[in-house]
Amino acid sequence: MSAPTTPVGRGAAARFTGQRLPRKEDPRLVTGRGRYVDDVQKVGTVHATFVRSQIARGRILSIDVAEAQASPGVVAVLLAADVNSPDHQFWHNLTGPDMTAPGRVLADGDVRYVGEPIAIVVAENRYLAEDAAELVDVEYEPGKAIVGLRQALETTERVHPGLDSNVSAEMPQMPIPGLQERFDGAAHTFSVRFDQHRYVCVPMETRGIISTWDPWTERLEIVISGQGVHEPRAFYARMLDIPEDRIHVVMGDVGGGFGQKIFPTREHHAVVIASRIIGERPVKWIEDRAENLIAGGHAREESIEIDVAVDEEGTLLAGRVNHLEDVGAWPAGGNGQNGAVGAGIFPGPYRWGGPGSVSYAGKAVFTNTTGQCAYRGPWMMETVGREQMVDVVAAKLGIDPLEFRRRNVIQRSELPFTSPTTLVYDAISPAETLEQAAELIGYEAFRAEQAAARAEGRLIGIGLSLYVEPQFGFGALGTEAATLRIEPTGKVNVYMSTGSHGQSVETTMAQIVADNLGVAIDDVTILQGDTASSPYGAGTGGSRNAAIAGGAAHAAADAMREKVVAIAAHLLEASVDDVELAGSVASVKGAPGTRTVSLAEIAGTAYLNTDALPPGLESGLEVSKRYKAPAFMFSNACHAVTVEVDRETGEVRILRYVVSEDCGPMVNPNVVEGQIAGGVAQGVGGVFYEHMIYDEDGNPTTTTFMDYLVPTAAEIPDLEYGHVVTPSPTPGGYKGMGEGGAIASPPALLNAVRDALAPLGVELTDQALSPDHVLALIERASG
Amino acid sequence: MTDVEVTLTVNGRARTVRVEPRKTLADTLREDLRLTGTHLGCEHGVCGACTVLLDGEPVRACLMFAVQAAGAVVTTVEGLSPGGDRLSPVQAAFRQCHGLQCGFCTPGFVVSATAFLAENPDPTDAEIREGISGNLCRCTGYQGIVRAVRAAADTMAADTQEASA
Amino acid sequence: MKPAPFGYRAPTSVAETVSALAELGDEAKILAGGQSLVPMLALRLARPENLVDVNRVPELSGARRENGRLVVGATTRHATLEKDPEIAAAVPLLRRAAPYIGHAAIRSRGTLGGSLAHADSAAEWPAVVRALDAEIEVEGPAGRRRIPAAEFFETTFTTALEPDELVTAVSFPVWSPSAGFAVEELARRHGDFALAGVVCGVEVTDGRIDRVALALIGMASVPERAEAVERALVGTAVTDLDLADVGAQAVAHLDPPTDVHGSGRYRRTVGAVLVRRALTAALEEAQQ
Repeated sequence: MSAPTTPVGRGAAARFTGQRLPRKEDPRLVTGRGRYVDDVQKVGTVHATFVRSQIARGRILSIDVAEAQASPGVVAVLLAADVNSPDHQFWHNLTGPDMTAPGRVLADGDVRYVGEPIAIVVAENRYLAEDAAELVDVEYEPGKAIVGLRQALETTERVHPGLDSNVSAEMPQMPIPGLQERFDGAAHTFSVRFDQHRYVCVPMETRGIISTWDPWTERLEIVISGQGVHEPRAFYARMLDIPEDRIHVVMGDVGGGFGQKIFPTREHHAVVIASRIIGERPVKWIEDRAENLIAGGHAREESIEIDVAVDEEGTLLAGRVNHLEDVGAWPAGGNGQNGAVGAGIFPGPYRWGGPGSVSYAGKAVFTNTTGQCAYRGPWMMETVGREQMVDVVAAKLGIDPLEFRRRNVIQRSELPFTSPTTLVYDAISPAETLEQAAELIGYEAFRAEQAAARAEGRLIGIGLSLYVEPQFGFGALGTEAATLRIEPTGKVNVYMSTGSHGQSVETTMAQIVADNLGVAIDDVTILQGDTASSPYGAGTGGSRNAAIAGGAAHAAADAMREKVVAIAAHLLEASVDDVELAGSVASVKGAPGTRTVSLAEIAGTAYLNTDALPPGLESGLEVSKRYKAPAFMFSNACHAVTVEVDRETGEVRILRYVVSEDCGPMVNPNVVEGQIAGGVAQGVGGVFYEHMIYDEDGNPTTTTFMDYLVPTAAEIPDLEYGHVVTPSPTPGGYKGMGEGGAIASPPALLNAVRDALAPLGVELTDQALSPDHVLALIERASG
Repeated sequence: MTDVEVTLTVNGRARTVRVEPRKTLADTLREDLRLTGTHLGCEHGVCGACTVLLDGEPVRACLMFAVQAAGAVVTTVEGLSPGGDRLSPVQAAFRQCHGLQCGFCTPGFVVSATAFLAENPDPTDAEIREGISGNLCRCTGYQGIVRAVRAAADTMAADTQEASA
Repeated sequence: MKPAPFGYRAPTSVAETVSALAELGDEAKILAGGQSLVPMLALRLARPENLVDVNRVPELSGARRENGRLVVGATTRHATLEKDPEIAAAVPLLRRAAPYIGHAAIRSRGTLGGSLAHADSAAEWPAVVRALDAEIEVEGPAGRRRIPAAEFFETTFTTALEPDELVTAVSFPVWSPSAGFAVEELARRHGDFALAGVVCGVEVTDGRIDRVALALIGMASVPERAEAVERALVGTAVTDLDLADVGAQAVAHLDPPTDVHGSGRYRRTVGAVLVRRALTAALEEAQQ
């Protein structure tokens, strides 16, 4: 055993968690050295593009590919006959085998939405592929498109001819004993309805995949812009009946997903199958923006009706909800019914009338439009409905919406609280966030300012939104894992089951590991996105990183620390309890200047000088831990926003935007605030700018960024944050929160506009508040 | 369509490519010159992810053809780094201020911000927001980006003061 | 989203450009800034057989004073019109309107001539040249001619240019240094095309309007000059003005287009408001 040469002075434990640490991802990303799927340029790559349906519904009479096949540089033009198979299985681990829409890769005999892929054209480059695709001649016999969920429910025509209705999934209104009596006995009952328009994820990087089939080794190599690698691998193993271990899926850098990239989709399937047919050559498909807007997966087109019973003071006594969702022709996973989650979450942060006081029914409906995909907080209509309902009912009762919420919100003293839908909230703080948000925005002062402004004829308003955000830990989402390896040089590599696409996992997980293991953060590297080395997991999405992946990182680091300390104690001839480990150096407590030993030396011993290890201790430094999360965990927040409406033009200006967030202790406050901000921007976009518009024939009309308006920096205000900390039962106490910004912002904004227009008697029941729409509301109310 | 030979200066080096006239400058940089830092977010001139400097001015590389850039001096995000592991003041500010999450829009923002600050070394926050409104971001809500541009302006002003002191 | 194939020419003189257009006929499109054309090529909404790139024709660039007017070359970039101090001194409305055009990266490449030839009535330059009674100089096989702005725009995306002609320069009158100018626009987002907009210039002498020009953006298939309103305003005392009424008059007869961003009715309503705001600002400047 050589004499220690490690420098002293790295003694005190560095605390990385909780710090606004600059990210480890950034040096490569700010210098343009990230590697997104289109940056991977393998030798021999051929490029795919799709021929897509130009009509929403109809029969395909003929497809002529002769000219396309003869076009320069074309390698293959494939149709349903080449690609589809009755043996294909289309379900995903995450959502299970219950898929309602009949799966197919390419359109076969008929089309059911504009943009449905009919043919895949593969050529030496994308320019040539598009030239050839134009030469594919498709003859249609158009039918009458089924557009709009109410039309889909009323018509006898079928989006999917083989099914007996246009309902993809239904949760019927269950008769709950005593519920009607609550309504009958209430001082007031109200019925409200809120509609939401279609808007979409718009990750800045579109979908993309490279698939290579090696006919010699019979292995499939996939590089995907996705949200995880194991889901696609399991999917293609099942779909194509390839042994799972012969499929290798990797993710490099991914330019955002927001749910659109959780599952591989029909285009991905076509590319994978094409690569098997072509063999050896990597087949690359990079979706273009028009494709992404038209066919990448849509969301949010929903309607919610709420019957609510309250007493004289505005106490919420009972609720009955009916939630309709337009899931397009092929919802991305399962049956597309977000209401299944909404049903549990709808009561939100309010007490209601106890068990059996809230019922929730819903239908997910097929239409001849692009299928619904997950979009950040997919179930969010429950919050959009509930929080607007609160403001409408409060106004009708003459109670200020802040006061109304105060009367109904669950207090800390009531925890653990069982919601009317039997969810148990144990670590939430809605009341505290409500007060903090109200204070930060200066609620009372604003009301005074509003009174003065109204006297001048100005329209300013304030809106609140209070909600609870679930993270799920059951089924395929039940666990996350981390394999932690200390290399012989003392560097720490952590292989995780996450699939970060902007969530800063390389930094946050390193912060957790560095703290719990006692190593220098620069010596920790987080690796993910490779089925060869990443442990199985659902990937990233659903607000699960901090709590669940964090739990795994924590557990692995703790277990490794035990082992490292045992070796260090042995080398330092001290007791395990007296060994401190910090900054990659082990030392003896309370005995400065005595021997220390570096992590490198410990690792060297563990791998190369194993006779020096404590007797009975397994050699090497590798630990795998899989963390099983509680079935449900909850974070919560309150959004408060003030706006001014220009009564001459209908333009809405956001004055201030405040978020009080409780996601437990924050691993990295920059990351938390960044996630909130991104979600809020998507909410601002959804309410005021973004609208995926279909005409009555099922043609999408907002198919470029000139028509589908994503907000710029000039449209998003400065956000102000407050934080409340209520730890979860996970190690570290972290809670996920990534989706909340997009869930709570629309109702907060809508409530603010509603409040601003209140003196005019405007009833606000829908969104897509373009200035034209707002001005029309004003004119209608005043006229 | 016959290929055309085009010579241009990219990040300080003379480069020659053979491309069809219809091949965009963005695709040429990415494929022929393997400078994949310039990204394609929309290919119709709205998102700004493809922004490069052409003769010192910010341009959307997806709206130019490589043949048009013959004889031009082009700087991509890769060319903004001073070299080695070092970051330009704008790049460093984006890191310091958490101005990126997925990073896909980031090269376009870094180039646009660099050009913006060269013309507007002391901008107000409103001017910053307008100045970068030609680039779309979907992850950050622009908070960290605006802070980064402000921080870079402050850093460069301080460096200028130091240099002239 | 890749363009269809095309042939490419890069002439270096106006004469060469004209003969290329004559030779290629219908199958050629001029490429200037490309900020409007190239997206259409990428989406394959336009598929010209040939592009004639005029960015390397020196005669088309530059600005100069000539006979009391400002003559601006067709390939002058929006950015130059935004920043050049001599251009701003001669025709202040150019510097006022330029910042509304998209974003910096668009202004680096987009050109005055290209914008006029594209003739989108929701763009700024068509309204500016209309307001100022500019003359558009064009050249073709038959030689040069000047087209007054009032005759240049025929309908949406259609001008009086023959297929074998190109815009070579725009000649602007120079107003009195005491004139007031204003540009008001309403767009969905910063930098977007205007749903409605107003470009205006006014001169005031002894408290009365003695010259006024008012052109409307996005309110019709061509930039609209509010001539009836202008005639009514000339000679009126500033203190006698009911600008809200002027706004209403300026738009009353218009039938603006409806699209995904706003209805025609909305555009007309907002147009009236913007006329009032623009005149208010221009008058204030003119009286300083």
